[in-house]
Amino acid sequence: MPKRRDIVAIILIVLPWTLLITVWHQSAITPLLSTRKDDRRDGRSNSQNAFALKDSCSLQNRDIVEVVRTEYVYSRPPPWSDVLPSIHVITPTYSRPVQKAELTRLANTLLHVPNLHWILVEDSQRTTTSVVRLLQETGLNYTHLNVETPRNYKVRGDTRDPRIPRGTIQRNLALRWLRETFSINSSQSGIVYFADDDNTYSLELFDEMRSTKKVSVWPVAFVGGLRYESPKVNKLGKVYGWKTVFDPRRPFAIDMAGFAVNLRLILSKPQAYFKLRGVKGGYQESSLLKELVTLSDLEPKAANCTKVGKQGTLHVLRPPESLEIFGCHDNLFLKSINCRLTANSLRFELI
Amino acid sequence: MATRMKLKLKTVFVLYFMVSLMGLIYALMQLGQRCDCTEHNMPKDRTISRLRGELHRFQEQLRKSEATKQPQKQPAKPTIFVITPTYARLVQKAELTRLSQTFLNVPQLHWIVVEDSPHKTPLVTDLLVKSGLTHTHLHMPTAKDRKLQEGDPSWLKPRGVEQRNEGLRWLREDRRAQPGGDNQQGVVYFADDDNTYSLQIFEEMRSTERVSVWPVGLVGGMKYERPVVEGGKVVRFHTGWRPSRPFPMDMAGFAVSLKLILANQEACFDGDAPMGFLESSLLQGLVTMDELEPKADNCSKVLVWHTRTEKPKMKREEALQAQGLGSDRAVEV
Repeated sequence: MPKRRDIVAIILIVLPWTLLITVWHQSAITPLLSTRKDDRRDGRSNSQNAFALKDSCSLQNRDIVEVVRTEYVYSRPPPWSDVLPSIHVITPTYSRPVQKAELTRLANTLLHVPNLHWILVEDSQRTTTSVVRLLQETGLNYTHLNVETPRNYKVRGDTRDPRIPRGTIQRNLALRWLRETFSINSSQSGIVYFADDDNTYSLELFDEMRSTKKVSVWPVAFVGGLRYESPKVNKLGKVYGWKTVFDPRRPFAIDMAGFAVNLRLILSKPQAYFKLRGVKGGYQESSLLKELVTLSDLEPKAANCTKVGKQGTLHVLRPPESLEIFGCHDNLFLKSINCRLTANSLRFELI
Repeated sequence: MATRMKLKLKTVFVLYFMVSLMGLIYALMQLGQRCDCTEHNMPKDRTISRLRGELHRFQEQLRKSEATKQPQKQPAKPTIFVITPTYARLVQKAELTRLSQTFLNVPQLHWIVVEDSPHKTPLVTDLLVKSGLTHTHLHMPTAKDRKLQEGDPSWLKPRGVEQRNEGLRWLREDRRAQPGGDNQQGVVYFADDDNTYSLQIFEEMRSTERVSVWPVGLVGGMKYERPVVEGGKVVRFHTGWRPSRPFPMDMAGFAVSLKLILANQEACFDGDAPMGFLESSLLQGLVTMDELEPKADNCSKVLVWHTRTEKPKMKREEALQAQGLGSDRAVEV
């Protein structure tokens, strides 16, 4: 009799454990199963929605590959989406011979980016008609602002003097416009990016920056005398330093076009602007970013900052002699203009 | 002894049972928790389904517009064949990227990229595939004695001659195999990879019958160079340098109709021509000045600029490389 009782006891002990183990086993497997099912579903729908791309290999025995696209939507710019966050691209610009060429080229790039809002800020007393016409012809969604840099801040002769911050007043005006136009309570999501008019941007860059929660960063090519500068990212995906040669001890050793900020962050910190006075060369970006975010909050993009998607290029007229001609012309122009300090620029001096 | 043992066994048994029961309850709680996780993913799923809905809508729109366009599709737009010579240097990827972004806005464009290289480079191959453009990738190396060396001024030797001629040769061969023979519609344009093109210039050149011309900005040391038009015909050229040339204009200032290229199988660029005569060496055999078609509002608008890109300063890179700490070569720039 005790033997039977023992057996019953043993069974009653073992049964719950086996139940437990089987339930545990199942709960460990079912999440995996559900994700695999999702992938399969996604894969099928992707192939349905993908545009047809036919590869017609060479006609003769030559290794020339000709690719013909059978479907392409030529709607420029792309229709506005209700789901994608908008990207506000702030571009300061100033009048010089290559200005129209640069803006044309930049516009040709921006025409491919959905939900883009181009904020163009001219360094001039009033908006110039050629820029107005250019903006209207592109069909882009834009805002055209202008503010003139006061004479004592303007570049004198040497365009590469790093002590004079170029475009600062214009970028600050754009930030102010954003803060006046968008309220922090609105549900509109947006990303703010500072794009100079003489750089090259890949289209993947705009896709990467759309998921910015606070501030995202990526490598930039041909800046700081290197092939590329980039943030140093550790295995946990956090930024811990900067791979630059020019003063890597800056709080944010990054180029103006190497980061993007979430609009909500801009709106929530209304005192954050680029510093005008007392800014050492290369510290412009830090003057804004240190008021917005800390190093650990940065989000590295472009495959943990291993891919280069934006290059800085400068433009020179040919042949070299013509630079002098246009240089003198510009200086004459500056001297003859009565550079009055406007109310706007005074306000930015105080910031 | 027996009762104590029984008691001990009973307590052990009860304890075990309680533990097992608690474990079961915990497992059931786990199941409950998974339900919460799926709720957490709902906003993401909602976004995905909304995006899918939008994509579906746009595709419907596209299908509708294509359907309405079908009956009007008979006069097909002539294809613009753009021949771009390119060579490997630091800014090559940036230039080609920018150029591809411009071309992506132009319908019916076929990009012929000819590399100055003994074989195709993966950088250009990947760029072309990713761009989504209709393209042809060729390569033709320049002979060593005709190549510019480091430190040579850019005007010392003509550039891109062999590559443009290779582009023309491929085009002629490819078109011979197409139906329609020599009556094919098309325009050939020589676009260098460092210039800036507005989108209007491509629409202007599409109607080229023989050779069309227009102003080019920021070239030849001038704000612009252009043909001077009187009575709808080109009478002379406004240029700052050697206006006595037969066709004193830049490579980006003219386009040739495909018919003319196919009708003159021998016409190509002459690498031995004196400096600045490269364009004339091709056009002389094709057309006379009064046959030129002025575009861009009788050559009064600048729609293309001869920009050049400054070589990036690599001082620090070179210094680092001397120490063996140069930028990672695996990262394509």
